[in-house]
Amino acid sequence: MKTMSKLLTAAALTSALISTTAHADTLEIGVLLPSPIADVGWSHALHEGINAVKEKHGDAVNVNVVENIQEGPDADRIMNKMVGDGNDFLLLGSFGYMNAGLKLAQRNPDKSFIHASGYKTADNFSPFTAKYYEGAYLMGMAAAEVTKTKKLGVVAAFAIPELISTINGFTLGARSIDPEITVDVIWINSWFDPAKAQDSAKALLAGGADVLFSNAQDTPSVVTVGEEGGAYVFNLNSSMKEYAPTKYLGVVKTDWAPFFVASVDAHLAGNFEGQNQWLGMTDDVVVVEDWSDDISDDMKAKIAAVQADIVSGARHVYDGPLVNQAGEEVIAAGVRLEDGAILGMDWHVEGVNSPLPK
Amino acid sequence: MVFRLVKREHASRWMLLVTPLLAVLLSILASSILLVILGKPVLLTMHSFFIAPFENFYSITEIFLKFGPLLLIAQALAVGFRAKVWNIGAEGQMIIGAICASAVPVYFVDSTSGWMLPTMAVLGALGGMAWAAIAAFLKTRFNANEILVTLMLSAIALQLLYYLLLGPWKDPMGFNFPQTVMFQNEALFAPLFSGVRLNTSIFIPIAFTLAVWLLMEKHFAGFTLEVGGQAPNAATYAGFSAKKAVWVSLLLAGFAAGIAGMSEVAGPIGQLQRSVTSGYGYAGIIVAYLGALHPIGIVFAAFFLAVLQIGGDVALVSADLPISAVQVFQGLLLIFYLSVYTLVNYRIQPARVEKAASTGLPS
Repeated sequence: MKTMSKLLTAAALTSALISTTAHADTLEIGVLLPSPIADVGWSHALHEGINAVKEKHGDAVNVNVVENIQEGPDADRIMNKMVGDGNDFLLLGSFGYMNAGLKLAQRNPDKSFIHASGYKTADNFSPFTAKYYEGAYLMGMAAAEVTKTKKLGVVAAFAIPELISTINGFTLGARSIDPEITVDVIWINSWFDPAKAQDSAKALLAGGADVLFSNAQDTPSVVTVGEEGGAYVFNLNSSMKEYAPTKYLGVVKTDWAPFFVASVDAHLAGNFEGQNQWLGMTDDVVVVEDWSDDISDDMKAKIAAVQADIVSGARHVYDGPLVNQAGEEVIAAGVRLEDGAILGMDWHVEGVNSPLPK
Repeated sequence: MVFRLVKREHASRWMLLVTPLLAVLLSILASSILLVILGKPVLLTMHSFFIAPFENFYSITEIFLKFGPLLLIAQALAVGFRAKVWNIGAEGQMIIGAICASAVPVYFVDSTSGWMLPTMAVLGALGGMAWAAIAAFLKTRFNANEILVTLMLSAIALQLLYYLLLGPWKDPMGFNFPQTVMFQNEALFAPLFSGVRLNTSIFIPIAFTLAVWLLMEKHFAGFTLEVGGQAPNAATYAGFSAKKAVWVSLLLAGFAAGIAGMSEVAGPIGQLQRSVTSGYGYAGIIVAYLGALHPIGIVFAAFFLAVLQIGGDVALVSADLPISAVQVFQGLLLIFYLSVYTLVNYRIQPARVEKAASTGLPS
């Protein structure tokens, strides 16, 4: 009997030991971000998403963030160091980390990678992007109601499909309410250049625009110009309402938490699968909120109806007929543009004045 | 109370040797204070900076990967600085070198010719030299200040790079993102060991160092170059040309920076993209001065700064240090070096003595 109890105690102790070892075996998560986390913007939104993972798993995960790292040979080395330091799950927060990140993933098949904005995939390497165009379409509807000049302006970073499709969605939304509306775009070729962004925003205002869209600018640069210049303004990723208290139209927010949590869970369960993750309002990743009080209840109801249709799949931003800048029909009525065509979009819809840089 | 710097008649040679070491110690001390204020662990940070880079093989090869371009650019800049030709624009010359070299794989995407890499090296060198030649021409013809010209040419080089990446050289399959195609293996230097990024391009800076050492220390041409730049009148009298000093200094720097730019795109990067220089063009200036403008001193200085940069990356990850702290550390180093150097070579005197000593003051 005594032996029995001894055995039992030993067994209990062993299991206790095993469970503590399991606890001590925390998942190290490495996060590499292209700009400072700051209070708003792209890196901030990614960081919020990873915070949700931390909140869910508590001490079972440990997050190691390195911010403000430009793409290039140094980013490559830092990623390598993160993996060398024992990070088993990596979040790479910029398009420019793609090639180096992919190589690293192929060398480390037991680690999982999620990569923002890219297009290359491996078994343990998932690129992720948001369907910003869904939210931008709704913003376009709101912009159509508040504009008097019927001219809208966009300050945009790089002419990559992600941003082109966002501008097209915005234009389609606005013209669904008022077909006379036109959109001007200035490409500044930077995610992070407050001075240039502000100059461009002022140029758009001078050209008659009275609604501004800060497309993928990581600072409140354009937003503050809108407030000072008396133009409505909205942006992506995280709310900047405090920078435009009276003229803030709303935000097309990205809430990465659901996707990040699901990815980390998959990694912990051992079934992480690298695939292109293209996430929108249906996935609760693209969220539209902080609406301006100047939008009428009537329009709010219209927007809510369209939003419900997009979420249910009854409606798609890129349902035909779609006409390009040259006036040619690209997609006929009743046809829906394929995902691949949106992911590789290199043309503007009718209503966008500015030519696309090629 | 106004003070004035007066050159010491007998600056201690021994002190000149100690200057860089003293600068390093002082910057370690100053950054330790900053770290304490930041609330970061001082010992762990110093470990990250100075010991961690040597802890594994990969990391050691990364030191040499950075050592190469730093050494190459600093050696060439030092030759110019000794002749008092202030080329601040190695960054731009490096960008143009990278651009010219990239033309080969961009226009011959499918080529598997063994001539690709040599052609890229030649184009890279010529590109860097051509860019530096603009400053040399403006200096010798119109006496335009080369500090301003080379610095501004760097800004122009960057815009040219952006233009090419956003326009004609953009990867057609790259979803409009500003970068070229990935280069084929024939356009890349072979890695020295499998699994590392250190490649055969490391031999270029070493050979270049040897050449510069022979030129400056063992050859009369080095002497005429130095005199030509430092004392143009005396040089002309002795039959050396001040203009030649300007041309040789700038072309040499353009050559080295161009090759360095080529080695980056044909090495660790493997394509032309928006950031190709890693700041080597500017860091090279620090290295040149830290190495007391001497070919052998520069070897140590380049190695030291490479360690510091790799260590900085380690500190980002392991000691949770912000990237600006790394840059502050490097900036402190230069400031302390210049301060110590000045105090070793000059005395501080109250300004009243000025009148008496004015004729003997350095210009």
